[in-house]
Amino acid sequence: MVARRKEKKSQNRIFIPLEGLNQTLENLSKHFTVWVPMPSGENEWSLEFKPLHRGCKILLDRQSTLPPKKVILPQGQTLIEYEYKKSESDPSKQDLVLREVIDESPIIVFGTRPCDVRGFLVCDKVFLQGRYIDVYYRARRLNTLFATLFCREADDACFCSSVGSGPADMEGSDIGITPIDGGWILEGLTDRASEIFSLCDCEAPDEKQIEDARRVQEEVRSMRVGNLRTDGVLEGVKGQFQNMELWRDIAESCLSCGVCTYVCPTCYCFTITDEPQGLRGERLRSWDSCMFYQYTQEASGHNPRPTKLERYRNRLGHKFSYFPLRYSGMIACCGCGRCIRSCPVSIDIRQGVERVREAHHGCVCS
Amino acid sequence: MWSEITKKLQETVQNIMPQVEAVIGWERGFNEIRIKPVVIKKEGDISKLVWNPFCVQNLSGYLVKSPAVIPREGRRVAICVKGCDSRSVTALIQEGFLKRDQIFIIGIPCSGTVDWRKVMKRLERSSVIHRAEIKDGRLMVEHAEGVEEIPLREILLRRCLRCVYPNPTVSDVVIGETVSPHIEKEDLYKDVEAFERKSLDERRKFWAETLSRCIRCYACRNACPLCICQDWCIAERRDPKWVTQKPTLKDILLFHGIHALHLAGRCTECGECERVCPMEIPVMFIKEKLNETTLRLFSYEAGIDSNLVPPLLTFNPHETGI
Ligand code: SF4
Ligand code: SF4
Ligand code: SF4
Ligand code: SF4
Repeated sequence: MVARRKEKKSQNRIFIPLEGLNQTLENLSKHFTVWVPMPSGENEWSLEFKPLHRGCKILLDRQSTLPPKKVILPQGQTLIEYEYKKSESDPSKQDLVLREVIDESPIIVFGTRPCDVRGFLVCDKVFLQGRYIDVYYRARRLNTLFATLFCREADDACFCSSVGSGPADMEGSDIGITPIDGGWILEGLTDRASEIFSLCDCEAPDEKQIEDARRVQEEVRSMRVGNLRTDGVLEGVKGQFQNMELWRDIAESCLSCGVCTYVCPTCYCFTITDEPQGLRGERLRSWDSCMFYQYTQEASGHNPRPTKLERYRNRLGHKFSYFPLRYSGMIACCGCGRCIRSCPVSIDIRQGVERVREAHHGCVCS
Repeated sequence: MWSEITKKLQETVQNIMPQVEAVIGWERGFNEIRIKPVVIKKEGDISKLVWNPFCVQNLSGYLVKSPAVIPREGRRVAICVKGCDSRSVTALIQEGFLKRDQIFIIGIPCSGTVDWRKVMKRLERSSVIHRAEIKDGRLMVEHAEGVEEIPLREILLRRCLRCVYPNPTVSDVVIGETVSPHIEKEDLYKDVEAFERKSLDERRKFWAETLSRCIRCYACRNACPLCICQDWCIAERRDPKWVTQKPTLKDILLFHGIHALHLAGRCTECGECERVCPMEIPVMFIKEKLNETTLRLFSYEAGIDSNLVPPLLTFNPHETGI
């Protein structure tokens, strides 16, 4: 037994058979909160990441509708809890009791795709690598592992290869998952993987399975997903900033809803509110969206982004120009296509980028 | 068939173009089953316009929500409407947001529009869609991994399966043949009635499960042509504060309750709120209950007669029945 354990610990690959997936992850869930993609409802098309529960339906054959963003950036996150209590030393006074809520419990997200993890690499720049470190984000981020699929399920909204990533991009992942006939091969990519494998209670793959996985990976590596060109957008957004005709052309049909930002793995904007309930309450960080009017509403009454045109300009500009200008060229879009698929009016960010480029290059020529 | 109607539509637009400021219609989106709204301002763009059962969006909100296309003096804005959309236009006129003589209504009888998610569910995978064609009541989809044929009825939006006004109720020109509704008028609220026969626990469980999926993206609110507060919605207001920003069922329920009540007797059942929801929550169902009540109490249907005042926008001390 001990010897077997030891042998497992040293292995860098395991094989999970199709019928063994739930059990394997249930084993893991004794030590970690395991998030997996599953259907949102009984008959729904949409998928979302949720914590594993016994007998749940894990779906690894297409991209989730909602990204795993909320694992690290919950839609509503309590930062501080507070309570007013009668002061023990002076009964005529109240004491304010504060409790900071930092969650450091270990998490595995199983079944992410390269675009999902890329989303966190973008958010990391903001929350971990600037002048200020976000302790709430850091606590969750450092305690989360990603097991990522070599992705073979690109559709006509995907364009990860156009924005510096790709369907075989394992940057930021701890384990690579390769789907093969009859199951999945899991391969350790960071030191943290072997700990997981030792808890999985799975066999090592045989020669043939390793060869199958190699072939799948090769195929995925050779895929180029998307053909968006991004040269010139960086300067283009700046140059076309005042060209409201252009932005009208791009975003006239926008509803100014929050779908695109809430399904986006790289949209990290939040708001902070105090939510009291009697003598106690919490300071809450919740998702916000630059597509909302209130997002830029100033106390004076002035709103620098009064219409959806300025707001859409910000969404596109932030991802393809302001962010890369600030963070050494990294485009703040992972090309997952979620905003395109879920937009109620089918606004296509690729088309927006294309229009900006055209307008920009047009300007240069004339 | 669709290409013929599209051709007629383009010809019609060609003819009226000199008199209108712009034409709001639909064009192809990122694939053939995803159509998007388009505002045509110059003749050269008319060829973009299409009509087919993928033209899901109700465009009437664009007439009123900022930055709307405002016609210059003496000109009009043309808009393409399906049966359900035409009721939204009437409702906007009823409530004083629009003037009838500022718009030119291109009505298109509609035999139902397609729910793309239902198509995907039939394909059982995400796949690149190469071609989609609807013929003789069937959809044929050619995608990266094969061809699928699906009876149209199985992939229509829920709103379309219960639509009783498929022909525009108001228009300046009609394109295409009159169609017959999918259901009889007396069956309009049979889903509501069936639901009400369930036990309180079952009903509570249903809403708890479906609404807990809500991500509070407010697409349902913003897509509704009659949700006119939009940027000043109680859902986001801090002062006075009605709803917290927590994504908990309690707050979600409160938002949807308020949303629905603000539409009581105004909602035309265009189904946009439900169609746009990324989490597939049947939010129109809540409004259907309110409309059933409005019909029963006031014999009133929103967006049918532009001369009527919606019952909750007026006060009659002699009101009977309530
Ligand atoms: S682009 Fe689409 S999803 Fe985003 S705010 Fe506009 S309508 Fe909503
Ligand atoms: S902007 Fe759209 S395509 Fe890019 S990461 Fe966000 S959701 Fe994905
Ligand atoms: S509430 Fe929904 S169904 Fe009713 S008018 Fe608004 S969008 Fe249409
Ligand atoms: S569109 Fe759907 S997810 Fe978004 S707020 Fe409305 S019900 Fe919630």
